Amino acid sequence: MSLLIGTFTIGFILSLLAMGVFISFRVFAFPDITADGSITLGASVAATLLARGLSPWVACVAGFLAGMLAGACTGLLHTRFKINALLSGILVMTALYSINLHVMGKSNVPLLSVTTVVTQSEHVGLKLAHGATSFNLAGWEVSVRDASVLIAILLAVVFTGSLLYWFFRTNLGMAMRATGDNSQMIRALGVNDANMIVFGLAISNGLVALSGALLAQYQGFADVGMGIGMVVWGLASVIIGEALVGTNQLGFTIIGAVMGSVLFRLLVAVALRWGLSPNDLKLITAAFVFCALIVPQFLRKKRLRSAHA
Amino acid sequence: MLEVQAVSKTFHPGTPNEVRSLRGVDLQLAAGSWVIIIGTNGSGKSTLLNAVAGTFFVDEGNIRLAGRDVTRWPEHARASLIGRVFQNPFSGSSPSLTIQENISLSARRGLRRGLGWGLNESLLERMRDEVSRLNMGLEDRLENAIGSLSGGQRQALTLLMATWLRPELLLLDEHTAALDPKSADLVIALTEHVIARDKLTTLMVTHSMHQAANLGDRLIMMHRGQIIHDFHGAEKRRLRPDDLLARFEELRRAEQLDESAAEMLAERYI
Ligand SMILES: Nc1ncnc2c1ncn2[C@@H]1O[C@H](COP(=O)(O)OP(=O)(O)O)[C@@H](O)[C@H]1O
Ligand SMILES: [Mg+2]
Repeated sequence: MSLLIGTFTIGFILSLLAMGVFISFRVFAFPDITADGSITLGASVAATLLARGLSPWVACVAGFLAGMLAGACTGLLHTRFKINALLSGILVMTALYSINLHVMGKSNVPLLSVTTVVTQSEHVGLKLAHGATSFNLAGWEVSVRDASVLIAILLAVVFTGSLLYWFFRTNLGMAMRATGDNSQMIRALGVNDANMIVFGLAISNGLVALSGALLAQYQGFADVGMGIGMVVWGLASVIIGEALVGTNQLGFTIIGAVMGSVLFRLLVAVALRWGLSPNDLKLITAAFVFCALIVPQFLRKKRLRSAHA
Repeated sequence: MLEVQAVSKTFHPGTPNEVRSLRGVDLQLAAGSWVIIIGTNGSGKSTLLNAVAGTFFVDEGNIRLAGRDVTRWPEHARASLIGRVFQNPFSGSSPSLTIQENISLSARRGLRRGLGWGLNESLLERMRDEVSRLNMGLEDRLENAIGSLSGGQRQALTLLMATWLRPELLLLDEHTAALDPKSADLVIALTEHVIARDKLTTLMVTHSMHQAANLGDRLIMMHRGQIIHDFHGAEKRRLRPDDLLARFEELRRAEQLDESAAEMLAERYI
């Protein structure tokens, strides 16, 4: 049971990554690789501040802001210096590797005996449970600690998702969505589309970094290599989410990203349980995204061919 | 209102693909005038409109609009003065946004966009009102994605959006060329209506000699990046589609003559 709750918790934490990837890849149609670096940036900034004894809230906010800065850099490279979108992300991601090492001062920062979002929510949960350390849920023994962390993360995700939904319906947010959709039109309506891209990538990477900050606190360490392949991971979640909700209405796509993230995490947990080597995880993830990209095309061609026959 | 002074634009200068799209164009528009632009393919009509809109900066010359020198203003800054409808009916709206979201974007053309709510009741009311007057049954579909509409419907909405806030200048670039005849007539009727209602200053490119003869109060003809004819007042009113076709024919003959003369000279001297 504890394992299942843990799977859900990580799924929800990574749904912030999925939301970030959703913004760059789907809202802006910008293949932003920065996320691989900014998730680690969020983790390392948060871990370093926590290790210095700062409050977990400060650590999360700082992680978020650091991610925004990274995203803005990618946006500026692309819009001001006309560097290809993919390359802009790769440049910033590469630079972030060194920056993350500098932030942490080493390649790994453990968070063993410090106050984190996790310990704080456990604390609140135990208080509310009046001393009980576990409870019974439909015949399952559930640890109060695990459950309170899951609920805290879930609340954070619901809050962030709602905020995003609200934001994308304000004047500014709508202009951003239109920028990804049709930049010619949005310029003709008086919007500086370059600024929209910079700001949009900042928000995207802020969310990704926040996801990293929470992940570091949940797993109890930040590691310089933890971001490798995370863009693809986020993309897989977004694709699964799209299949699940089957519409491109804004609210549903955000919910889809969250559901996709959790489902993907569950699938991975099951696969690992069945004996998939963790070493093969990235390979499988990449293969999965490849299939998800290729299959719809393949089906369409097949349908066309059978329509002709 | 609009002053285009000695504007030139060359694409890909110094390469084999060099195109001198505008060659010293001068054009003055009085406030409230509706100028039709015709010309052969590639004569620079779209380029002229793009130069005015700020899609690119011109190589030489100046552009003044509503008393301001906008020559170095970027496109999004000029948009506060200009409403635009493109030839491609899909260029003027954002497909995944709803009709009402698209219109609300245009309701803040040139204004600051902050965290305010995009849609409010008074705006929605005006939308329902104006959209229902298009007689396309779209007023009940304001929450549908605009990408699900036909080209004609989208072009009518784009025109509505371009003029939602009264622009100092309206730019129409063959905005009915890609539509079926029925939609084209509808969009033209709407064009006449808004221009008359808001007394708009308009620059309209058209491929249709019928539109060119019947609409507007002035007509200019472009050829090879220059304005070669300019018909005003009574002269414009007298023009018939056949007169315009005759002008094109004249151009074609002159070109052929040029070519054969060049050939003859080449044969003799090279
Ligand atoms: N952005 C551009 N880049 C390169 N060449 C262009 C561009 N815009 C227009 N041209 C060229 O300028 C010439 C005039 O084009 P245009 O103004 O579109 O003609 P039209 O009168 O048919 O609208 C054409 O030869 C076209 O290829
Ligand atoms: Mg043209």
